[in-house]
This record gives sequence, C-alpha cells and structure tokens, in this order.
Amino acid sequence: MDIKDVPCPFCGCLCDDVKIQIEDNRITGVENCCTLGNAKFLSKSRLQHPIMRKDGKWVEVSYEEAIDETARILSDAVRPLLYGWSGTVGEAQVVGVHLAEEIGALIDSTTSVCHNPSILAIQEVGHPGCTLGQVKNRADLVIYWGCNPIEAHPRHMSRYTTYADGYFIDNTATDRKVIVVDIRRSDGAKVADEFIQVKPGGDYLVLSALRAMVRGKSDVVPDSVAGVKKVQLQRVADLMMKAKFGAVFFGLGVTMSRGKYKNVRNAIELVSELNRKTKFTISAMRGHFNVYGFNEVLTWMAGYPFAVDFSRGIAFYNPGETSVIDLLEKKEPDACLVVASDPGAHFPKSTIEHIAAIPTVQIDPCVNATTALCQVQIPVAITGIESAGTAYRMDGVPIRMKKVLETDFPTDQEILERIVTRIREMRADG
Amino acid sequence: MRLTLSSGRTIPQGSFVEHKLSKGYQRATSIVYINHLDLMELGIESGDRVQVTSDSGSVVLITEATHDIPTGCAYIALGPYANAIIGGYTHGTGMPDYKDIIVEIEPTDDPVPTVWDLMEIIGGLRYGH
Amino acid sequence: MAEILLKNAYVIDPISGINGEVMDIAISGGKIVEEVSSKPEVIDCQGCLTLPGGIDSHTHISGTKVNFGRYMSPEDMRAGRTAKKGPMHITSGYSVPTTYGNSYRYSALGYTTLVEGAVAPLEARHTHEEFKFTPLQDSCANILFDGNWGMLRALEEGDIKRAAAIIAWTLNAVKGFAIKLTNPGGTEAWGFGKNVSCINEKIPTFDLTPAEIIKGAIRANELLHLPHSVHLHCNNLGTPGNFTCTIGTFGHVPDLNDKRQTLYATHVQFHSYGGTGWSDFCSKSEPVANMVNFRPQIVIDMGQVMFGRTTTMTADGPMEFNLYRLHHDKWSNHDVELETGSGIIPVNYRKKNLVNSIMWAIGLELALLVKNPWQCLLTTDNPNGAPFIKYPEIIALLMSKRYRDAEFAMIHQDTEKRVPLPAIDRELDWHDIAVMTRAGQARALGITDLGKGYLMPGAEADIAIYPIKTDEIDPSAEYEKIIQGFARTEYTIKRGRVVSRRGDAIIDGENTTFWVKPKVPAAYDIQHDPTFMELFERNYSVRMSNYPVQEEYLHRNHCIETETDL
Repeated sequence: MDIKDVPCPFCGCLCDDVKIQIEDNRITGVENCCTLGNAKFLSKSRLQHPIMRKDGKWVEVSYEEAIDETARILSDAVRPLLYGWSGTVGEAQVVGVHLAEEIGALIDSTTSVCHNPSILAIQEVGHPGCTLGQVKNRADLVIYWGCNPIEAHPRHMSRYTTYADGYFIDNTATDRKVIVVDIRRSDGAKVADEFIQVKPGGDYLVLSALRAMVRGKSDVVPDSVAGVKKVQLQRVADLMMKAKFGAVFFGLGVTMSRGKYKNVRNAIELVSELNRKTKFTISAMRGHFNVYGFNEVLTWMAGYPFAVDFSRGIAFYNPGETSVIDLLEKKEPDACLVVASDPGAHFPKSTIEHIAAIPTVQIDPCVNATTALCQVQIPVAITGIESAGTAYRMDGVPIRMKKVLETDFPTDQEILERIVTRIREMRADG
Repeated sequence: MRLTLSSGRTIPQGSFVEHKLSKGYQRATSIVYINHLDLMELGIESGDRVQVTSDSGSVVLITEATHDIPTGCAYIALGPYANAIIGGYTHGTGMPDYKDIIVEIEPTDDPVPTVWDLMEIIGGLRYGH
Repeated sequence: MAEILLKNAYVIDPISGINGEVMDIAISGGKIVEEVSSKPEVIDCQGCLTLPGGIDSHTHISGTKVNFGRYMSPEDMRAGRTAKKGPMHITSGYSVPTTYGNSYRYSALGYTTLVEGAVAPLEARHTHEEFKFTPLQDSCANILFDGNWGMLRALEEGDIKRAAAIIAWTLNAVKGFAIKLTNPGGTEAWGFGKNVSCINEKIPTFDLTPAEIIKGAIRANELLHLPHSVHLHCNNLGTPGNFTCTIGTFGHVPDLNDKRQTLYATHVQFHSYGGTGWSDFCSKSEPVANMVNFRPQIVIDMGQVMFGRTTTMTADGPMEFNLYRLHHDKWSNHDVELETGSGIIPVNYRKKNLVNSIMWAIGLELALLVKNPWQCLLTTDNPNGAPFIKYPEIIALLMSKRYRDAEFAMIHQDTEKRVPLPAIDRELDWHDIAVMTRAGQARALGITDLGKGYLMPGAEADIAIYPIKTDEIDPSAEYEKIIQGFARTEYTIKRGRVVSRRGDAIIDGENTTFWVKPKVPAAYDIQHDPTFMELFERNYSVRMSNYPVQEEYLHRNHCIETETDL
C-alpha cells in the first residue's frame, strides 16, 4: 500500500510530499524524502517496554507502574521542570502546558538551545517574514546566514529556494542568486553564487557593515570586516538593494555565536532597512519538525513562546532566569520530565549532571543519551508515523501529521493525560 | 595548540539522531574537523586522536583534516562529545556558548569514550547490552 | 436537561421588537423555550438589563497573526496577567490576551459570539486550534481572499461563477464563515513591496483593479447565498484623504440582498480621513456617514480608537509597514503565499497627539452621524483601535454628550478645528446600544436564523444580564455607572449555562464553530478542476491534499449549508 503526501516528522521544513510504501504494517519504502527523513521513517530500533531503575539496575515495568512513579515524582517535587516538546504534536504539548500550570512547574522546550535568541531579538524589533511559498515564487536573492541547509534541512533549497520553480522566476538557475555566509566552507557554500567567510564571532560586525552600506554610509566601513573584504561586502549590499525580493534564512551560526540575540537583532534590522528600498524577508531555520509548534501553543496558552515558569501562580517569563540551561546550572529543579527531546545529547555537561542527580522521567520511543540520566522511561508511539496531530512548519504554516502505521504503543498525549489523572488522584488522596 | 571550536549540525549526525548509542552516531559526533596546516603543526595525521580541553571540560576526539575551515578554527558535530567541553553559562540569555569556544588541543593515545561512558561519567546508568 | 428560569428580566431585544419589558425567560437544553417543565434553576434578575449575548462581528482573537502579536510582545503579556481561579486558567496579556484571557474577559462583558476578522486560508488550521481554547464564545472565521490567485485569475477572466466556485471550495476546505477582503489587490502588490493607492488603479501582477475585485467578490458572494455579505477592509487604510476611496468603494456596491446588507465595511474610522498629509489631517466622518445613510445596502463598524497602548495587527501588510515608518517601534510582517499579507506593530494612542485625537473623534462621529444603528456597529477592530475591554467606555461616550465633552477637553487642543464632534448633540439610548452590540451584528452576519441575537423561544440561550437598572440611571450624566454596568455582567449565559458570574468564568465551557458549505454542482467542483489543481500544486508550498482543515479541528461545530446559483 502507498500513502501519498505524508508530512515528514524530522526537521522544520515539514516536507509534506513524502510517499510511503507499507507492507504488513511496516514501512518498506520512502520516496521524495531526504537522508534525515528516510532514516527516521525506516528506523527499526526502539524501546519495547517502560523501564525503571531499581537498586541501581534497569528493570522492565508496566505502563501503570511507570506512570504511577512519574506522578509520584512530579507530585513530590517542589520545583519540577517539564522539558522538551519539539518532537511531538500540539495536542500533546497542550496537555503538557496544562500539567505545568497545574503543578506550578517550569516548562521549556528545545527552543531554549536553538532559536531562543531569535525570539529575544524578535521581541525587541519584530520579524519581517513570510511563508516559504512566497520565497519560492518571488525571491530572486536568497541568503543563508550561519546555517547549512544541505546538512540540516536537506530539501530546503529544492523545495523553497535555490532549485525550486517559482511563479515569478523564469529560470531558477540563472535568475535566482544565492549567498552563503558562514565560518566554514560548508556544502551549501560550495553551491552559492557568493560565499562570505566570516571569522568566528564576526557576524555582528559584518551585519553592521552591510547596514551602513544599505544606508549609503559605505565610507565608514573599513577595508576588512571580520575577515571579509569591503569590496565583497559592497558587492553583496548592491545585490541586496537590486533584488526584487530578497529572503534571508539564518541558523544557529547567528544565534549561538558571540552576541547571540544581538546578532539576530542586527540581521532583522538590516532586513527592515532593506524594506525601505525593496522587498526583503528574514526567517529562522527551525530545527525539530514541531519546535515552532511548541512556541505557538505555549504562546496562545500562556503568552510566551518558551521558558515559562508557573511556580508563582501566574505565567512568568524571563529568559536567562527561567530558561532551562540557567535553571539546571543553578541546580534548581528537583524533578524533571523530558518529553520528545534528548537533552542528554544536547546540553552542556554541567547541566545534565544535575538531570542525572534528580529524579528524571523520559517519554520517548527510543533509547537515547537521556535514557542513562533517567529513573524511568516510558516508550510511546512515534509521532508523525504512528500517531497524528498538528505541527507548525518553520514559517508558521500548520500541517497535520499523519498516522501511517498501526501501533499498540500509547501516544505522548495519552501518557501525559494519564499522568495528569494520576497526579489528581494522588492529590485527592492527600 | 589553541583553536576556536564551533559545534553544529552535520548530515551523519542527523542521520543517526534516532540511534544515539550506535557506533555511527558515536563516530559522527566525535570527529573534530581541523585545517590541514594546523594538523601538520600538531605533528599528527588525519584520524589521529586528540585531547580537547576547554574551561569547562575535556574529551578525546578523532581528527579529520579539512580545507573548509580556516586555520585557528575547529568544527565538531553537535552532540555529547561537544557538550563535554561546553559550559552552562549563558550570559543571561538562556543560550550557552555552543560556538566560538577556545580550546587547547594536544595529541593523545587515549581512547575515545562511548556515549554511554560520557553519560556514566556524569552520574548516569547505561541501559542494555 | 439543565433548565433555567430568568425572572424579572428587563429585556431589550431589538430583533423581536422588545424595548424594555420586564419578563421571564425560560431556558431548556441550551435554547430559549416557551416554558420550562420541571424545577428549573431560578435566577431573579431583579429588573436588571437583560440583552442577547454580545456578538463581536470584527475582532482579532485567534490565529497566526494574533499569536504572533503575543509572541513578539512580552511587555504586553506582563501587562495583563491573572492567576488561576476556580476553573479559570492563568492568563496573560493586555491588548492581545492569551486565548483564555480573551474568552474570560469577553465573557465578563457579556459576549457570547466572536468573529475572527481575518484568517489566511493556508493558516486557518491555527485559528481553529485557538478557537478550541476560547471556550466561552462561539466563533466564526472570516477568510481572506484579497490576494487569492485562483479567485483573482477567475475575475481577470471575467468568470464570476468560477471565482465563486473557488471561494466555495476554499471556505469549505478551511471551515470558514465569510469572504474577507483586506486592501484588495494591495496585499498581492505587497508581495513585491508595492501597494495600490486607488480603487481604480491596476494591481501590478493581475489585470485587475481593487474595484473590480470588490465587485466580483460581492457578486460571487451572492451567487453562493452566504449568510454574511462580503466583509471589506477598504484600500488605503490610515492614509490622509482616504475618505474619497471609501466613498468611491461604497458607490460601487449594488443592493443585492433583501435580508441583509450587500457589503460590510469594517473599521471605517480608519477610512474616513481628510487632508493631503498629516499636517492638514482632519475628519471626514460626515461625507462617509452620509453615504452610509443613503445606502441601506451598506453596514459598517466603527473601529473606534481609545487612548493608551495597544497592538495593531492586520492582513494589510503594506499599511503596517507605513505605520512602522511613522512609529519606529518593532515591526512584524508575514506574507502568505498566493493569498494575502499581514503585519503587526505596537502603538500607543496619545491624547496629546493631534492625529490620535482626531482618530478618536472620527469613530464616535460615525456612530453618531449614521442615523440607523443597524448600519453602524460598535467595534474597536480589537485590538487595533483599542482592546475590547474598552467597549463599556465607548458605550458611555455614545450615550453621554457630557462624557464626550469632558474627554474632549483632555485631548489635543487643535482637534476641534479638524472634527465635527463637539457640534454633535446626539446621545444614543439603551436600544441603540443593544442594536450596535448584538442585534445588528446577528443580522449583519446573517445568523439570526441560527438563533443568534434575540431572546424569543427558539433562540440560542446566549444571554447577558448587566447590573444596570435603566430607570435608575441618567446615562447623560451618570456615565460612570454605564461604564461600570457594562464592564461586568451579573450573569453571562452561553447555550443555556451560566458561564460567567460577576466577572469570573465559572465553568470550562465549550465553543461552537460556525462554518459554511455552499452546495456546488459537480461542474463547479474545483477540487477536481485540472487548471486549479495545477495552479495549486505548482505554486503552493503544501500539497493540496494537506490543505483542508480536517474534521479533527472542528471539535463542536455547526455547518451552514447554502444553496447556490452556480
């Protein structure tokens, strides 16, 4: 059996044209997908039973026991942390936000360690953006800044930019220019019309130089800026101003390097400036397929996109204080629930030391680095393959993820709802 | 030798992201990419191991020579190996320094730890196998 | 089945022709009935003002741009946060509250039905997700067609029926309620950073003028027999001298429907400006109101501006960019492929600012100069002119000349040379207010047949009981009492259940979404039209099969099927 138009549950591109072949409730073929998505659709290894640590050993337990233990851990906690969320759908995230509200937890997502600085910058200066189809149909200049679409979002260029047919673009090979800005000559840089190699930490300077040039103040720019020659910057500034529709995509090279949200702010202000001359947009290359969805859900429910602390009885947001890394670094949480992410593999060592030191529960289909840090792991259906629900693409377009395989594993949403119910029962029992 | 190290996504790292305990993931995330000239100066060949040390920690990695990174810089896939040398300080932004980390690199014969090893060093417990 | 008997209610129900009668209202199974059978819960209204539940026919409460208004504005979120209380969840936000915040605060004002004013079809799924978390009001989504390539191409070819077929397919697919046009043609031009300046100017990428788009959409709307008329945000919003464009637009509107208006023009305050620039900016409410007075086929809403901080958000991307260049605060923009645009900026309307003062006056003038209250409905274009929580103050301003004069004394002193407001003595009465906040909306939206907007047997039991005794208040002098009285109901009843009591929501609630499904003959079923499919698959960034909003998002809903003339 073939299922067409399946959205891919890997990255923020959320390509929704994947074709899946299924035999005997197994995926036997995947078409249209990239290496990353293929690997996920065809993955076979998973955790088969809930597991729990008892007397320093892992043992298999029932779902009931695992949920009971999770509810007990969260009920006993004074400063619970609910973290992750980007690899599951909105319907489960909603339950997570209600849970956080009910137990006065701090809730944060993988956003905190990817585009958190982009959000901080947007909260300062706004966000001139658009949907990806707008870029595809109109952009004659595409700039990838501090990101590497070929490795992180492999179909971004073919679906939305460089190689995509566009309504107003006669010949995408010749009429669409691509500029890559990076510290290393990535694969993306190799196919670009123009590659700007910036010294590490130099993005802010280069953006400032371009802003000056767009404002007609080239004379203040020195001959070389963070390793980039002024002639090249002037050439790029001219390309930007001459474009009919320019689209900037930026990644973690901008958000994580020195300057962090100030880099992003500078990039946004460059784009705002360019809109006085022509049409320009800027967009973050969001990582997990539904990292943006969590930002959306938490925002409509609590008012902020990430790092919300419910412990004061209201929604309190102060990144740098209520963001997950800072919280762990201060060793504040006394219990942690990890859902649909893997902090063990992606957090600095000192912070996961604390996750290992407190009772931690993970809800995830697979054994991963975080497994080693947990007391309990509850395996679930694989979202977007074995369970359906809503995800938000990197540009905010909501797409319904499909269920293409039958499974006996419960969904994230079901497990979370059972945990909430169990916590209420425990509270009622005093 | 002192280098500026950045971490980020790579295709092999992404492909093994659902298999974090596999040899493939370990290999993909424990390679440090260094410019040919810097390797020469270190007196080692591509594939040799190095001890990489920052203010926040130290880890053994495998080198791979490249021309795509300028001298004085190094690159590693994001993951548990990179995290072993990344600090938790965020400058009040919530975002740690995953990029532009100053590291000391020296040749070593020590083995590269496994992901489970790294997790157990910080107090975790490996599962299975 | 839960039953309630309201005793001693002082009822104003304009649709039923009731203007201030003390009566009992029986409620059973969510409806108003002749009488209740068993022992109902009795609520003694003690002669308090009892109205059909409030209906906001143009507000921004759900969806992509509303949520982005929250996302980019932690300062606004901090300015309005409340703790958990009973069944009430935590809320955040002042001008763009969280979904629960919107729902609780609207409910406290007695509102039971809300129309989200602008939804891009590609992102409609998001709007429906937020509707689910706006539990105390029924909801409708106006769907944006101003830059819809399929519709524009059909209009370009002069094929109104094809345009209607595309509209029908889209409304059905995204579970929308009505056709919304925002700066028609202008949002498409904004795709390349341009705009249109006049309704007779060709837009850059299609052989069409805004006037042709508006006229075409109106005819298509009537071919589909949609409950609501075309819902228009005119071109040139916010530009000095734009009143000529507004009047020109109104002049193009035929009278095609005997049950309701043929055009609903929204937030007309923003479209009633004179002058050639900001230096000679002035009110042109009089010619605009006169035009409405001469044309019963037009209904407008005020789009009243109130002083203070708020957030502006609209599909009118180029307008928001112009506003950004005036305010120099943060600016967000979000173009939607093949469909429309949008923009958001925070603003602070100041009494000391002459332009802001004139804007404030214009909204009130429209409401006072349009003779028939059924033709001018009370809105702030929430949150663009002001957050909806300002409605009680607006009601008081309309009912009290003394209040208007007191406020007028506080605003920029040059305002009086630019506006007619001080010379207008009219004071609206309770009945006028009931029309402008619920009955008029129900009729304009075409939802009276669904039991909305009145209080006779058969109606939905959506009822607001205010702590107002009309015979004990002189609205003209005691405007503070009007503000207090409308700020917090004694009871808000939604579908037969008390959902809000003295400002607090008391149950979780569950909303109903109203959407339309025009019955289109097979020849006009665009789903299988090869040209349309090709346009879609080549140019959209999502697959056509993934575009429609699935049943899962509808939760509780009511589908309005219409017979069509296709």
